[in-house]
Amino acid sequence: MNEPLKWYEKNGPQGDVAVSVRVRLARNLQGYPFPGRLNDAGKKQVLEVIKEAVLGPNSLFAGVFAWVPVSSLSRTAAVSLVERHLVSPEFISRPQGRALLLSKDESIAVMINEEDHIRIQVLQEGLSLKEAWKTASRLDDALNERLSFAFDPRLGYLTQSPIDLGTGMRASLVLHLPAMEESGVIGRTASNLSKLGLSLQSAWGEGEEATGCLYQLSNRVTLGLSEEEALSNLETIAMQLLRQERGAREKLMQRLDTQDTVARSLGILQNARLLGQGECLKLLSNVRLGAACGFLKGVSLGTLNSLLVLTQPATLRLPSGQEELPGEEQELLRARLVRRMLANRVEMPEEI
Amino acid sequence: MICQHCGKNPATTRIKRIVNGQLSETAICSDCARKMGYGPLLGDWSLPLGSLLGGLMEEEAEPEIRCKGCGITFEEITRTGRVGCAQCYQTFGQRLSPMIQRIHGNTSHRGKSPAKAQLTLQPQTGMRVVPQKTSLLEEKEKQLRQAVEEQNFELAVVLRDEIKAMKEGKNHE
Repeated sequence: MNEPLKWYEKNGPQGDVAVSVRVRLARNLQGYPFPGRLNDAGKKQVLEVIKEAVLGPNSLFAGVFAWVPVSSLSRTAAVSLVERHLVSPEFISRPQGRALLLSKDESIAVMINEEDHIRIQVLQEGLSLKEAWKTASRLDDALNERLSFAFDPRLGYLTQSPIDLGTGMRASLVLHLPAMEESGVIGRTASNLSKLGLSLQSAWGEGEEATGCLYQLSNRVTLGLSEEEALSNLETIAMQLLRQERGAREKLMQRLDTQDTVARSLGILQNARLLGQGECLKLLSNVRLGAACGFLKGVSLGTLNSLLVLTQPATLRLPSGQEELPGEEQELLRARLVRRMLANRVEMPEEI
Repeated sequence: MICQHCGKNPATTRIKRIVNGQLSETAICSDCARKMGYGPLLGDWSLPLGSLLGGLMEEEAEPEIRCKGCGITFEEITRTGRVGCAQCYQTFGQRLSPMIQRIHGNTSHRGKSPAKAQLTLQPQTGMRVVPQKTSLLEEKEKQLRQAVEEQNFELAVVLRDEIKAMKEGKNHE
């Protein structure tokens, strides 16, 4: 394996609770209507202008980014991009006139002609908000050398939706909160956070059960706060949630029933022949709790993070090249992948 | 119950507010609710975001004005919750600002500015394109510091006056 590790295959700072961060910047070109008001020819023109700026002669980015027109992707490949959090579901729903700039380690994904002409996204493992912001801002500066962005001194960066006016920045964190979920405080916490201009919502899976205790914490205020202020608000709150979760985990992991659940979950993942998506997510969440608390030794959080991404339906069948797989074959593939990646011997303490 | 605000119509809406940790409750009629800006916010939250945003904007029956940049009408923006182009923020500035205030509060941008000198539209001068003020101001201030360092006081005086004029102009906005 000489391929660089993808961002979601690593474990980052505060990785026991903080799975990943994403910083998104919305930018629009001057002189072109926003994507919602562009016809296909107009969108194509915007694509060309941006492609020229990023990948044209003398560009520093030529070797960094792959240019991916959305219409060139198979359905599975497109859905897999959503599962890897690289694009929004809306982005692939209407492929015409849209393209993605994607870095090799998939940590930078620039959506072109989504809601705005340009949406820079930087994704990183762990709680690396400032680093992700720096990368996004540098890319923003570099693009700005060749492209003029719509900006107003009072309203900031001008965006298609007035909600994003100002910095155009949305920063979000994926947090693994099994102990807080177990103690039933998520709902209350979420409503308190909304008063502070932050939102906490389920980040993964579909339906209410298959969330894997993964939550997305993000800023909502874009006007009147600088990027640094918004980021440090978010980080302060995230650190409080981290402390709360760690405290709750410590108590939770001392309970025999929790230890049993964690150990059994690992047993199923290491041995199952068929694994459904919802079940897999739930079990991975249990094992992640055990590994993060040091109860399970020999399972890396990086491995678990990548399994969270790779066991999703479209990403799972992507290597097979199949557009569709019967349910059982899909479950077989998933179980095989999980067994292979969790094959290491795992140690855990004797029960007392 | 009669509206506690106008004292005329039957109250249909209860407004709960927490001020300094104290919960206060007011019962008002739908007309007063709308006037006080509560109306559309109490609408159906299950609506798609677009029409919800649309609900935040006041609808007015004025002659149709189209944005010169993209041809959109205000009615279309209201319906979709999406602005057509950068110029719309100028064309419909006054009509958009209540909604922007409702979303963000009465505030202005404090974050990053484009590094490159930008051309933006000035509300006062209509559609004329003028250089962006902040970066120009920063540039002048930089020149002023340099002029002072080089003891080029004649230039410094000119720059100082220009900066003063620009700052005053800015305060009028």
